[in-house]
Amino acid sequence: MKFGRIFSRGVIFDNPVFVQLLGMCPTLAVTNSAENALGMGLATTSVLIGSNLVISLVKKLIPSKIRIPSYIVIIATFVTIIGMLMKAFLPDLDRALGIFIPLIVVNCLILARAESFASKQSGLPSIIDGIGMGVGFTVALVILGSVRELFGAGTIFGVTILGSFYEPARVMTLAPGAFLALGLLLALFNKITSKELNEL
Amino acid sequence: MVEKLTVSSSPHVWSKNTTSKIMLDVVIALLPATIAAVYYFRLNAAILVALAVITAVVSEWGIQKIRNQKTTILDFSAVITGLLLALNIPASAPWWIAVVGSAFAIIVVKQLFGGIGQNFMNPALAARIFLTISWTDRMTAWIRPGVDAVSTATPLALIKGATEIPGNAPSIFNMIIGNTGGSMGETSAILLILGGLYLVYRRVMSPKVPVIYIGTVAILTLIFGGFDINFMLYHVFSGGLMIGAIYMATDYASSPVTARGKVIFALGCGILTTVIRFYGSYPEGVGFSIILMNIAAPLIEKYTSPRVFGEVKQSA
Amino acid sequence: MRDMIKLGLVLLIICAISAFILGVTNDYTQGIIQARAHEENVAAIKVLLPEAEEFELVEDANVTGVTDIVEVYQGTKNGEVVGYTVKSNPQGYGGRVDILIGISIDGIITGAKVGDNTETPGLGTKIADAAFINQFLDKATTNEFQVTKDPQRENDIETVTGATVSSEAVARGINRSTQLFEEVLKNR
Repeated sequence: MKFGRIFSRGVIFDNPVFVQLLGMCPTLAVTNSAENALGMGLATTSVLIGSNLVISLVKKLIPSKIRIPSYIVIIATFVTIIGMLMKAFLPDLDRALGIFIPLIVVNCLILARAESFASKQSGLPSIIDGIGMGVGFTVALVILGSVRELFGAGTIFGVTILGSFYEPARVMTLAPGAFLALGLLLALFNKITSKELNEL
Repeated sequence: MVEKLTVSSSPHVWSKNTTSKIMLDVVIALLPATIAAVYYFRLNAAILVALAVITAVVSEWGIQKIRNQKTTILDFSAVITGLLLALNIPASAPWWIAVVGSAFAIIVVKQLFGGIGQNFMNPALAARIFLTISWTDRMTAWIRPGVDAVSTATPLALIKGATEIPGNAPSIFNMIIGNTGGSMGETSAILLILGGLYLVYRRVMSPKVPVIYIGTVAILTLIFGGFDINFMLYHVFSGGLMIGAIYMATDYASSPVTARGKVIFALGCGILTTVIRFYGSYPEGVGFSIILMNIAAPLIEKYTSPRVFGEVKQSA
Repeated sequence: MRDMIKLGLVLLIICAISAFILGVTNDYTQGIIQARAHEENVAAIKVLLPEAEEFELVEDANVTGVTDIVEVYQGTKNGEVVGYTVKSNPQGYGGRVDILIGISIDGIITGAKVGDNTETPGLGTKIADAAFINQFLDKATTNEFQVTKDPQRENDIETVTGATVSSEAVARGINRSTQLFEEVLKNR
């Protein structure tokens, strides 16, 4: 029950993108297609799980005065490893995400989870929290990426959804489209969740 | 409440104008240019204008219904947005360009930010830029006036990067009466000015913003063009400068309300327009410059609002 | 004071462990990354110079130091030089534009491609379209290419409408590449 709650909180009630509005830089920058969004989401999730686990295990060894630099070093290590592995085995995705892979280091979602969760909990809940938040982040990015790709290119994950009659609105795959789509999705998410709260 | 207020900083002068009266005047002022567009570009122009206006009104009614608000379609503001948008697209555009643009202008730019008086950008212009970025080909497929619809470059595209007028450009006379390529409403400078004069006569707008805006562009192009009067006139009468300066930069909601702020706003529009026309990647800069200055409007207002009597200037 | 040393030591240990892990990972992935990059490079330039079967990076000081030139490959077939591919990156409108061309040994452009760029989407990016870039194909490297709105001569290239700066950048990159071929590569 407790683990289930930690998980579902990350995915829905404390969704990093739709509720906490954390990690806006990758959220807006790399969601121009569903595939990029999924890649970024999974990369962030793996970093999150790894850093949450390590930080929860070594939390007693790190003096509180230097906890922030220590967390950053741990997070940066995971990010760099992920970056190298992606370059070696998923070069296309690496090229599409570009600078935003190293920038996962400064994704405030990861530091926020380290500081507010992993540094106070033991290993297993921290992993669950990392998975929950990571899945929540990934799902949000994929939704945003799919919406933008659908309207901006007529496809989702490269599969044509809207036929040749549809002329893609290129603005949706550019930066302004990210803000438009995120704003409208936030409104929709609030509408749905507020209704549920009212029914409670 | 908002629609009953004349938006300006103090001192307030009581005025009989209501929103719908003002808006009706703007519609009347735009009519000559609209009729000219239909005359020059025939049936497709008429269809686009009708579609844009109908979509604007229906979108406004629809979104206000969904959000349980009192409908404001009777104040003509949606009609103007639709009409201005139609005048901002090429006559060759397919029907859905007008529909998508109008819906975007009303739903996203106007109503989601709170409806009339609350939008921070001019809805029609924001929609034009949305369309231009999305469907660059469609939005720059200019055609020559007439039944044959031959594709052509706009006068501005012809002189892009040049410091003098090339031989194949249309004459200034044709540009003033509107017999040239371009968006439906940007072509006829003289009719747009006529509408502007009507608005000044009816005291719907002060001539300050358009005059300073166009004047700035005139002076700067005169300097850039090496004091060639023809080159300057070319820049003044081509593209969206007239429609932008008279009908969009003067938008109550998205431009500064203070007197000094209006001057700064118009100057900024003029400078940005010229700079984009000369150095930008797009041939036309009116849309982008007005939108940019729209965004700067709150800042301009902050620094130009008149001091309350007796107020001591705050030390920095 | 003692506290300071302790804090420093903890941080040092964390950094050392992290550096060790990164070193191991790097060791493991570096070879794969390089092999893959080389493969991709060869596949990309093979399209530009179809005649050649093997490619070798040219590491001549006369070549590597030239403005806007990134790298040059020498294409060979049965041990004989059949041409070169030149990669240049002239300054475009929104940043540098990668341009790759293939030149046969008798001075004809056999392939041209626009690579990574940050030009204005929808306008400047049209330089990568076949309609524009293929204008350079099969032309002699002795031409000094010029972009114009109204092409008439052999060395005239029609501008992409609304993207003069980007079009000029491509022409500049190709001119630099052909010049390099004429002045250096041809006489090697």
